[in-house]
Amino acid sequence: MNAIVGLCHFCELHGPRTLFCTEALHAPLPQGAGLGDGLGQGEQAEDEEGGIQMTSRIRSHSPIDGTVDSSSPGPKKSDMCEGCRSLESGHPGYISVDKETSIKYVSHQHPNHPQLFSIVRQACVRSLSCEVCPGREGPIFFGDEQHGFVFSHTFFIKDSLARGFQRWYSIIVIMMDRIYLINSWPFLLGKIRGIIDELQGKALKVFESEQFGCPQRAQRMSTAFTPYLHQRNGNAARSLTSLTNDENLWACLHTSFAWLLKACGSRLTEKLLEGAPTEDTLVQMEKLAELEEESEAWDGSSEEDVKCNTKNDLVEGNKLSKCSTDASLLSECSWNEAPTRSAVFRSLRHMRQVLGASAFHVLAWHVLMGNQVIWRGHDQDLIQSAFDVLKAMLPVGCVRIIPYSDQYEEAYRCNFLGLSPAVQIPPHIASSEFYVLVDVRAATRSNLYPVLFVDDGPLSKYEFVVTSGSPVAVDRGPTILSKIEAALTNENLSVEVVDQCLICLKEEWMNKVKVLFKFTKVDSRPKEDTQKLLSILGAAEEDNVKLLKFWMTGLSKTYKSHLMSTVRSPVSSESRN
Amino acid sequence: MCRGNVKASSHLRSHSKMGTDCCRLSDVWKLRMLELLALDAHIHRTKNSNFHIQQVPRIQHPKNSWAHAEFDSKNIRLIVYQDCERRGRQVLFDSKAVRKIDETNAQKTSQETTVKTYRNACLVSSNGKYTVSSHSSCSSTPDKKEHLPRYQYIRPASDVNMLGEMMFGSVAMSYKGSTLKIHYIRSPPQLMISKVFSARVNSTSVSTSTLQDSFEVISNESSLGRQCLNQNNLGIFHLYCGRLLPGASDAGQLRFIRSASFFAAHSTPVDMPSRGQEDKDSGIAHSASLSSLLIPSFPSPGSSLSGGSSSSYQRRWLRSQTTSLENGIVPRWYTEETFSMADESCSSNPAIVRRKKIAISVIFSLSEKDDANRHFQDFFFSHFPLFESHMNKLKHAVEKAMISCRKIAESAQRVQFYIGRVMDALGEFRMIVWNLYCAPRITEPVWLSMMSSTSDRNSLCQRFLKEFTLLLEQTSKNQFLAALLTAVLTYHLAWVPTVMPSDHPPVKSFSEKHASKSVDMLAKSHPYNPLWAQLGDLYGAIGSPVRLARTVVVGRRKELVQRILFILTYFIRCSNLQENLLTWGVRTDEGEQVLAGSDITTALEKGEVEESEYVVVTVRNEPALVPPILHQPRSDTRLCSVPESASPKDNPAGVKVRTTHETSIKENCELCIPTSLCLDNPQSDPMEVVSGDIKLCREQNSPQQFVKREIVMNVSKAGPFNIDGFPRSENRFSETELCGESVTRMSQHLAVKSGSLDRASPALPCPKRSSHRSPFVQRVKFQIGSSLSPDSDFESRRRDIDAKMHEFQSQHGSRISSCQKTSMSASLIKRGNFTQDQYEASGVCSTSQRKKTICYSRIPSCEAGASIFDEYFIDSTGDETLLQSGLSSNPCEQFKALNETENYQIKPLPKADRTLHSKHQDKNSSLRTADFCKEKDIMGSIKHAPHSGTEKKVAFPSKKIIPRNVSSDSALGDSDDENGTQEPTPHDTSQQEANSEQIPLPLPRSDVTSQPNETNFGRSLFGGYCSTYLPDFVLHGTRSDEKMKQTLMADLLHTVNHPVLDEPIAESVCIIADTDKWNVQVASSQRSVVDSNKIGQDALISSLVTSLLQSLLQLYKLNLSPVFCMMHLEDQLQEMYLKSKMLSEYLKGHTRVHIKELSEVLGIESSDLPLLAAIASTHSPYVAQILL
Repeated sequence: MNAIVGLCHFCELHGPRTLFCTEALHAPLPQGAGLGDGLGQGEQAEDEEGGIQMTSRIRSHSPIDGTVDSSSPGPKKSDMCEGCRSLESGHPGYISVDKETSIKYVSHQHPNHPQLFSIVRQACVRSLSCEVCPGREGPIFFGDEQHGFVFSHTFFIKDSLARGFQRWYSIIVIMMDRIYLINSWPFLLGKIRGIIDELQGKALKVFESEQFGCPQRAQRMSTAFTPYLHQRNGNAARSLTSLTNDENLWACLHTSFAWLLKACGSRLTEKLLEGAPTEDTLVQMEKLAELEEESEAWDGSSEEDVKCNTKNDLVEGNKLSKCSTDASLLSECSWNEAPTRSAVFRSLRHMRQVLGASAFHVLAWHVLMGNQVIWRGHDQDLIQSAFDVLKAMLPVGCVRIIPYSDQYEEAYRCNFLGLSPAVQIPPHIASSEFYVLVDVRAATRSNLYPVLFVDDGPLSKYEFVVTSGSPVAVDRGPTILSKIEAALTNENLSVEVVDQCLICLKEEWMNKVKVLFKFTKVDSRPKEDTQKLLSILGAAEEDNVKLLKFWMTGLSKTYKSHLMSTVRSPVSSESRN
Repeated sequence: MCRGNVKASSHLRSHSKMGTDCCRLSDVWKLRMLELLALDAHIHRTKNSNFHIQQVPRIQHPKNSWAHAEFDSKNIRLIVYQDCERRGRQVLFDSKAVRKIDETNAQKTSQETTVKTYRNACLVSSNGKYTVSSHSSCSSTPDKKEHLPRYQYIRPASDVNMLGEMMFGSVAMSYKGSTLKIHYIRSPPQLMISKVFSARVNSTSVSTSTLQDSFEVISNESSLGRQCLNQNNLGIFHLYCGRLLPGASDAGQLRFIRSASFFAAHSTPVDMPSRGQEDKDSGIAHSASLSSLLIPSFPSPGSSLSGGSSSSYQRRWLRSQTTSLENGIVPRWYTEETFSMADESCSSNPAIVRRKKIAISVIFSLSEKDDANRHFQDFFFSHFPLFESHMNKLKHAVEKAMISCRKIAESAQRVQFYIGRVMDALGEFRMIVWNLYCAPRITEPVWLSMMSSTSDRNSLCQRFLKEFTLLLEQTSKNQFLAALLTAVLTYHLAWVPTVMPSDHPPVKSFSEKHASKSVDMLAKSHPYNPLWAQLGDLYGAIGSPVRLARTVVVGRRKELVQRILFILTYFIRCSNLQENLLTWGVRTDEGEQVLAGSDITTALEKGEVEESEYVVVTVRNEPALVPPILHQPRSDTRLCSVPESASPKDNPAGVKVRTTHETSIKENCELCIPTSLCLDNPQSDPMEVVSGDIKLCREQNSPQQFVKREIVMNVSKAGPFNIDGFPRSENRFSETELCGESVTRMSQHLAVKSGSLDRASPALPCPKRSSHRSPFVQRVKFQIGSSLSPDSDFESRRRDIDAKMHEFQSQHGSRISSCQKTSMSASLIKRGNFTQDQYEASGVCSTSQRKKTICYSRIPSCEAGASIFDEYFIDSTGDETLLQSGLSSNPCEQFKALNETENYQIKPLPKADRTLHSKHQDKNSSLRTADFCKEKDIMGSIKHAPHSGTEKKVAFPSKKIIPRNVSSDSALGDSDDENGTQEPTPHDTSQQEANSEQIPLPLPRSDVTSQPNETNFGRSLFGGYCSTYLPDFVLHGTRSDEKMKQTLMADLLHTVNHPVLDEPIAESVCIIADTDKWNVQVASSQRSVVDSNKIGQDALISSLVTSLLQSLLQLYKLNLSPVFCMMHLEDQLQEMYLKSKMLSEYLKGHTRVHIKELSEVLGIESSDLPLLAAIASTHSPYVAQILL
């Protein structure tokens, strides 16, 4: 809790005095700020910045050497008596580090920070000599925005030598967050009351033993006429340590205050829910898990490295859409200055421009439907970039890429296949309508492309021939395709918008896929119902249905198994009606 | 006199009536929820008729945690006090000293009263001549006039003097702003909350004196009340016959002064990505002021969060930063809130400001019953922001009353006016507080219930969908639900973070959403107030600019209204709060905990498996003073520290495990102890027990292997680490080796060796070892981490040491004697003597002691075993866990830990022990000598094994805990040996980390016991069907909007002016769903409605919401399972979030939104824009700037 806990004393000679303060020092940056891998960073940051910051603060104000500079807020030594002092001068104070939270609890007689010193000082004065608490012992809350808010509990400690046989103390808790402090009132009251009880108990024992040995009252009665002040002079300044006869009192209070701060700060916790991960995230995680398993089976010792690598890969993959667009942005910007770039597709929009709208339409249609997309050419980078760009249209789970191969690979192994130019497409494939082939050839004429794309230097040396077994695709297509095309066409929309757009569209359709999966695979509903469902989902057209069926293969195992296990049995739940 | 009073009192009356009613309401609601299905069936049958209102029979005693008939709103007292430099203190108002005289029962009242009337002037003639309506808006009902109450002052209460002291304090503070105070008065139990303001007195020539005078006691006017006249008498209005204040205008114009720096703290680091302030022409009426209210993106790593809950995270992080104390205080806003005693219109000369303070105090009389008292206090302190807000309202009303009463020339009339007004305000306050506390609640908010209970989720989903779809069909024609839901989703934005896709894999099953880890970590490293966060969530104040929203469902058909309320509790979301009771335990080096001062209860329980009995030990109340774990310069070996820590009388420190731990402890701690031993209690003679046990031991304890097996099982049960804490045969060799060599070497050996658990060599006969043996015969289960009889524990521990010595001796006797012959050192010889002594002196009882020890020492190890599960240790490093596990169950590890801390101190035996064990005097003394020699040994070992020293300690400060003089008692009795304990050893100081010039002290280990928190806003601010409109509830239903029409606008403005969230609020909004007229309106603090028929503006209907509702309905009709439908609903909400992401991305590049572009691509329509923009404002603050 972001608070200062202090013990104050009303010294008979010096008035209200702060005896002991425990502060909580937090790392300047929140833990795990970077999420996931940020844990290490956070810790590092804390060690570096926080450490430095805190040490410098502590050092600069530390009265350790006894060479307290004049600006130091602490009261002059001459103003201090035993009763006003907790730690001996030169005592460095106490520190406790909560490793888990990296909060440090530091105790001194006074806070070192000058502003905090005066805050605590003011709170102390108010607690012991301004604010009125009925019965003088008890809890009270006071404060304002400027001086902070204070929960204070005043109490007496028995002292056989003090006037009235008791001394007045208070434990204060100072916060800037008044709501938090007030919310914590019942808790603080209980805990502080407990501390006070024990202090009082200790002091009472001392008191009783002292009374037993030398009854002060009788003595005082006998010397009733001597001036009171004179009499008590010698013992006026008894320290709390001696009043409680506990040498370790301050260490004990430090621990207790630190504990109080910790317990109060973690008294209430909230459970805050996040949304379910997207299907893409889930699939990527599953892939990661698979890789881990593989590597485990492979070799136990290098497991860590593999894990790290794959993790990194996947993390990158996760942000790939973003990164690639960033990169493309960059490259677009710097295009004119550095025209000698390798020939790659930078974005879907770029590809659409290069291929032309209709060719792109055909290509995209096949991509979305799950047909095999074959790129054949020399330039592996180009083909890789094409796949990177195209796969953004599909859920991660639907993407199986063989980036470059010297022989044809069957469709069940990959829906994106890169081939060297020499490879022939097997006849049974060539005759089917479930593939699209893009041949990357050297351009025959330089003016193949419209003037618009002159700056696409590297790509202009190629021409792209799109062949497809299916002539149907051209005029119609799934709903999502027309939306994607609309987004790509509209130059008003930046690349980032298009990316977001693709994410939205994919999620929208994956949600439909989920329903369909649940309906057909889990519940095994009859066909009529399915048709009804499809129209509800706005996916009754043939192409949409095809698309949904293909995308269903991309559902994460997590999701599927969950549906199979827990959400099953509508019958049983229905029966509860 | 004042019509308002009638109103107020009738309100009160009706509310007290409602107090009885509300139980019924909640019954109805509960029952209804229970019988929902049947009801639904019924409704289906009567579908074609209109809505069917079910008659539900009452239940007599409903469990409604919120209905507390105990609370009487009359127990709220208002005092207004003035503290003037010149004239001292005067009471300006005290509701306790005001008597209401209704004309109708005036006679009765006067008969009852024996109190002298204070002034003639207060006895108002009964002809109603002075009646001034306090509600000008209602002044058109003249027929009520006869019942208007008159007020009179009676003798001021005896405590006002004291209360004044409390309010102002004994020393005047020079601070100009307002001060907040809370006092608790023990008897009679009262809670007083005060606000002290600097009075802002008009300083024009006219008013300087008169204004002050007018509120003060004028004694020369009347001699009637003279006997009561003193400083503390109730101030009465001066019969001021002077002229009225010139230019007095409507008091409604009064407002609190806020300095220009009000928002200053918030306007500095506004980080607007890609867009500056150039959007001035974007049609934002309030852009200038609003932009300063946008949540500034603090330079924090959180802003780069891609994770799910970035906005929630941001908000919480920001809060923890703005309320931070660490680097000094930066006042967040300067609320120069003063108390206006004059119209603003004449406050032209601020130079002459009198030093005068006004305190407004509200005193709650608490019930004498502890339960009711605590309940109210819990409620009050957790709901303090709401109380405070209403207090501000009250203050405002008092202000107004003071100023406007001056318009009245005639004094008696003015007094009546003033009192009437203030009483009205108090009545309102009382009513609101009463309602806040007692109004019916929705007992089962859907979202929170789904979140907390996993078992019930299916049926809850089903119930929810039933309700939802039924409503959908009901309202399909008028789009009522779509409009309502659009508004709710637009303003109560806390649902957005709950659908933001997370980066983490789901924890359990898929549908179980998971808690945000980043927020969780933030809460740990930078604690903020979860209650505050929850309140903000509920009010939807998480967007930018911050808007605060409430929803009221109005309608005569209660069933219908309740149905809608129920539905909405799914969409109005907040975090779920949990209460954690942190208990500390000092782990000694054996993993045991110091025990003392605890309230220990024991009970015998039948064992589940065997025919044995278990002793169930419950420990309550840990001591508040946490014993420090000091680093002592001298050694404190196990042998002596154990008895010390074992003695409860000497240790206030406590072992504390809550009963809620029961199950886990049960699992973890299957302690095997002879029952006879456990039945042993302090009263019984320990020796008797011992002798009784001897036979038992003799008979059954011979095979150690048996013991071994038992232990392995137990320990593995206790934690993830399968620790074989048992001496193996080779360890025996090490023992003998040890004996043959110097003990120094031994400990060195240990220190080196102990890293590996299974090689654990119990070379030192430390008592811990005993914990691993002799579980046999019968099992005793220790539910809670302490034994029933600490004394006997100590005893047994002592004996166990003996036993071990004995055993040791018997096994390696020859070696030991050879050791002695070699005479390595004096200490060693002593030690040998010790063992031999033991062998000779206590041959018989030692066996039993060993047995008995289990009672004690096993427990802590189990505790520690359980603590391995504790999250606090899970993320520790491997080393640490090793150490930890060692602490828990491995004697050598413990020794190592001891060794590492380098702080051992000789502890003489505590008194109690001495007396207890007087029979063992010689044994004790030998123990002590053993202590000494061991100390030396260890010192030696430290010298030789510096590697095991402080660096470890620095790394894991909290892990090493040495049982120490924790208590005052021990210090009292035996302090002779502990001096200079706080001095760090040279080792310590030299090896401390750079930042710890301070002496490091480890924090005690913590155990967390969690339980759901009940007094949180998620449970309290979802109101049920209330008798009247209430301004606090996030959601509630009411019969009519009549009252709302009167006060809504003022409420909204008040919310903005006095934000309950303690942060600037840009706009306050109320969604009003009228089920009678089937319309949904949104009232805002920023728009005043011109049309008198309307409360607010009609809500838009988002097509996204419409299609969401439609598809949900269709899917449900297709008989998809409810759980799946809910998942689908969540998916669709997530789609909305994603679309808002796209919109925000789009807005980065566009000043104008071209709807066509959006709809073409994404199906976003203009009706969706406000909703999506609001969603976007939670993750992309700049959106508001562009769109607003």
